[in-house]
Amino acid sequence: MKLDVIPIHVADQPPGEPGLSGNAPPLLREVAEQVRRLLESGEPSAIDLSALPLTPADLDWLQEKLGAGEIAVTLQASGESTLNETACPGVWWVTHRNEQGVVTSQFIEVAFVPELVKAHPADVAIGLETLELLISDL
Amino acid sequence: MQGPLIDTLARQGVSRRTFLKYCATLASMMALPPAAGLAMAEAMAAARRPSVIWLPFQECTGCTESFTRSHSPTLEGMIFDMISLDYQETLMAAAGHQAEEARHTAMRDNAGKYLLVIDGSIPLDQGGAYSCIGGRSNLDILKEAAEGAAAIIAMGTCAAYGGIPKANPNPTGAVSVSDIVKDKPIVNIPGCPPIPVVMTGVLAHYLTFGSLPELDDKGRPKAFFGETIHDRCYRRPFYDQGKFAKTFDDEGARRGWCLFELGCKGPVTYNACATVKWNGGTSWPVESGHGCLGCSEPDFWDAGGFYKALSLPADPLKFAAAAAVVGTGAGVAIGFANRSKKGGAKSAHETTTLDDLEK
Repeated sequence: MKLDVIPIHVADQPPGEPGLSGNAPPLLREVAEQVRRLLESGEPSAIDLSALPLTPADLDWLQEKLGAGEIAVTLQASGESTLNETACPGVWWVTHRNEQGVVTSQFIEVAFVPELVKAHPADVAIGLETLELLISDL
Repeated sequence: MQGPLIDTLARQGVSRRTFLKYCATLASMMALPPAAGLAMAEAMAAARRPSVIWLPFQECTGCTESFTRSHSPTLEGMIFDMISLDYQETLMAAAGHQAEEARHTAMRDNAGKYLLVIDGSIPLDQGGAYSCIGGRSNLDILKEAAEGAAAIIAMGTCAAYGGIPKANPNPTGAVSVSDIVKDKPIVNIPGCPPIPVVMTGVLAHYLTFGSLPELDDKGRPKAFFGETIHDRCYRRPFYDQGKFAKTFDDEGARRGWCLFELGCKGPVTYNACATVKWNGGTSWPVESGHGCLGCSEPDFWDAGGFYKALSLPADPLKFAAAAAVVGTGAGVAIGFANRSKKGGAKSAHETTTLDDLEK
């Protein structure tokens, strides 16, 4: 069950600034540094967003600044994961959810292709076996 | 003992990407570098499952509940695929002599190699008569099982520090595992109840690196207990701005301001609730509007009232300046300041009155 099913609403929502903590802007510099490293050495890296003191408003701010790119990958593995390229190529917004749709972890991943998207050689080998089975049935 | 873990998982329809995704989340929770998720997945996939003997002593089974009722059964349940659980009274089908036999067989066949998980404290008064299994005292069983264990995991605050059974006046003479076993590596996973993923993380570390994770001075894995609730709290920015809720229903409370003045023990409590959260990542105590009780710290029950604010250091102005400059450092300082307060409160055995609750 998702949380929004429960009919809770805040009475007398206080007016004013919607909870920006000021912790989000420095992250953009860190992402830039990581992109630089990716270009120089090919080393991928990631920022773990769920481990940082960011308010929901901070995350929205970051997501809005980074924008949306051309590729959006959806992975169905024990809940949906989305690996979306941002407007800055090589910078991916990765969100893992569980079966209930709750976000379990969230990263900004800096890589040419996120590791999770690539097929593992052992799985490719199993795929090849399946193909050979198909061919033998022809 | 079956083959590598990845085969076991594949038989249950858990794909490699599912496992990778899980390891990525796990590694991030353990504060390991991003690449570690991949390394962990590779190592664990190929690892053979260690034998685990899980003994319940003076406890409420909340620790077991915490695990078995976690919200992603296939994933947190993975813990049971990572290990060969050879004895667990609550979960095993066998009972009586058969169960005892299973434990002895596991201890004999895996001598020196099995992991011993303990939940619950060990009562010493009346010769340990307060808690017995099969006519033997917990103390007796613990000593016997610890002998051949490779390492011991003390699950929950009771096993780690004595917990609620040890609360004043400690009628059963309850002590922790580390009060009794001195010659084996012990990992404490305190919490009332403990966070399930910490257990998975410790096991994953053991399977990946062949060793136990780095521990803090209270025997807790640093990866999960390295920082206070306060340091990782999403309400922390409001603390730094000096914005506090004064009652549970004032404007500050509605705006999500810091619960420090309502008795939150976050600044002196080392645990991962603020990042891992509870109920499948839905929320956690501070997010639902209540201060932290400090349940992963020794003697939290006797630390002087859940709704009493932690005292500020002598010079609040100096403290405020320090907080503005060093942020987390101030949290540590106040942590030390309050540990001594906890000790004082414990010896005085302060009773929580209605006034405290309404404060």
